[in-house]
Amino acid sequence: MNRAERWAAAAVALMLVAGAVIFLYAPTDALQGPVQRIFYLHVSAAIAAYGCFAVVLLGGIVYLRNESLVADRCARAGALVGVVLTTVTLVMGMLWAKPIWGTFWTWDARLTSTLVLWIIYAGYLLVRRLAEPGRQAARIGAVVGIFGFVDVPVVHFSVTWWRTQHPGPIIVNDALPAQMLATFLLTVACTLILAAVMVWMRYRIETLMDEKQHIAEPVKVVTAREPEPVP
Amino acid sequence: MNPFRVALAVARKDLRSEWRTREMVPALAQFVVLALLIGNFGFQIDSRNALTIAPGILWMALVFAGLVAFGRTFAAEREQASLDAMLMTPASPVAIFAGKALAASVLLVACEAVLLPALTLFFGTPLSGEVVAAVLLATVGMAALGVMFAAIVARVRARELLLPLLTLPLWIPFIVAGGQAVQSAMGLPGSYQEAIGLLIDFDILFVVLTSLAARFVLDE
Repeated sequence: MNRAERWAAAAVALMLVAGAVIFLYAPTDALQGPVQRIFYLHVSAAIAAYGCFAVVLLGGIVYLRNESLVADRCARAGALVGVVLTTVTLVMGMLWAKPIWGTFWTWDARLTSTLVLWIIYAGYLLVRRLAEPGRQAARIGAVVGIFGFVDVPVVHFSVTWWRTQHPGPIIVNDALPAQMLATFLLTVACTLILAAVMVWMRYRIETLMDEKQHIAEPVKVVTAREPEPVP
Repeated sequence: MNPFRVALAVARKDLRSEWRTREMVPALAQFVVLALLIGNFGFQIDSRNALTIAPGILWMALVFAGLVAFGRTFAAEREQASLDAMLMTPASPVAIFAGKALAASVLLVACEAVLLPALTLFFGTPLSGEVVAAVLLATVGMAALGVMFAAIVARVRARELLLPLLTLPLWIPFIVAGGQAVQSAMGLPGSYQEAIGLLIDFDILFVVLTSLAARFVLDE
């Protein structure tokens, strides 16, 4: 087991611990019943997704400043993991909304803007695949990532900007019982660790893919020189 | 080199080439009339529900006409490879970008000049200064974002596919605020002042952001 595999195993184990705490330790909600337990992972995944998109933003800014490949790979990894986590957020939210609101989807401000967020970063991944790999894709990606991030505050403050039926920020308002708060904070921490490990894994994959493309290129261009022996 | 004069020169060049070929504006005008036709058959429109449906048709037609217009913004540059020549001059990329955006928004305004009267003619909705102001304010930000993404996808494969995917999500704030403004201007509930305020905020935000990004998008 190498270092990456150990970290991955630890992240999965932590998520299982969080799952056990959600189902065994946290009290059942008086009004919503067991459905309320979706809240822990739903909000944690949303927070982790914001974190990932912050990585895309920072990676984009750093790349535009000094063309660092490391920053660009971080951005690529963050976008992919962020899209996965946003998908988790949307699906879990819909599962919660069906019994509580009576419908999977409503055109509420926060739901709409989270969907827009998902579309923007899914578009980011598409543009990365279609653009010429290398400098062009990295630049385009950086600009799209920075513009996409402008949408994150719109998502977050949309609850107050437009009328909405999405539950407000209950953690800030101190409306959560202590046991629920502890469960929530643990789930957030575990999800953030999982997201960080996934970004790191993806970073390694992106590095390998970059190296592969880097090796493949000179074979076509440098024909006059002796080909280097491939180990 | 005065950036304002460069921007005006680029815009003038684009508009002159449009004036000589007369390709885009007639096509766009026909496109929006077709959109109204489709709206008429897609919904059961009569004098009672026209007011609630017309704003939606207006934005649908405008957004897709915008995508067609901005998709063609860099067509001439791509076909003649003249963008590199423009970038080799001492003119700043931001000024070139502003000129392209200016010309594209003038074309979109020309298409709105057909769309809004046609909407009034066919659906009997009021054509007031408030409606025009909301549509024009939305055009500013939409043009800035649309031209930026047009520049981005100009060098990418499958650009017709990517432009709507990248542009539409970022246009949504303008459609939310603009939609609300047009609805309240047509007599539906909602605050017109608030929506116009939001539109102006979004315009400022995205015009500043796109001018900052223009250097990285064009300079290649």
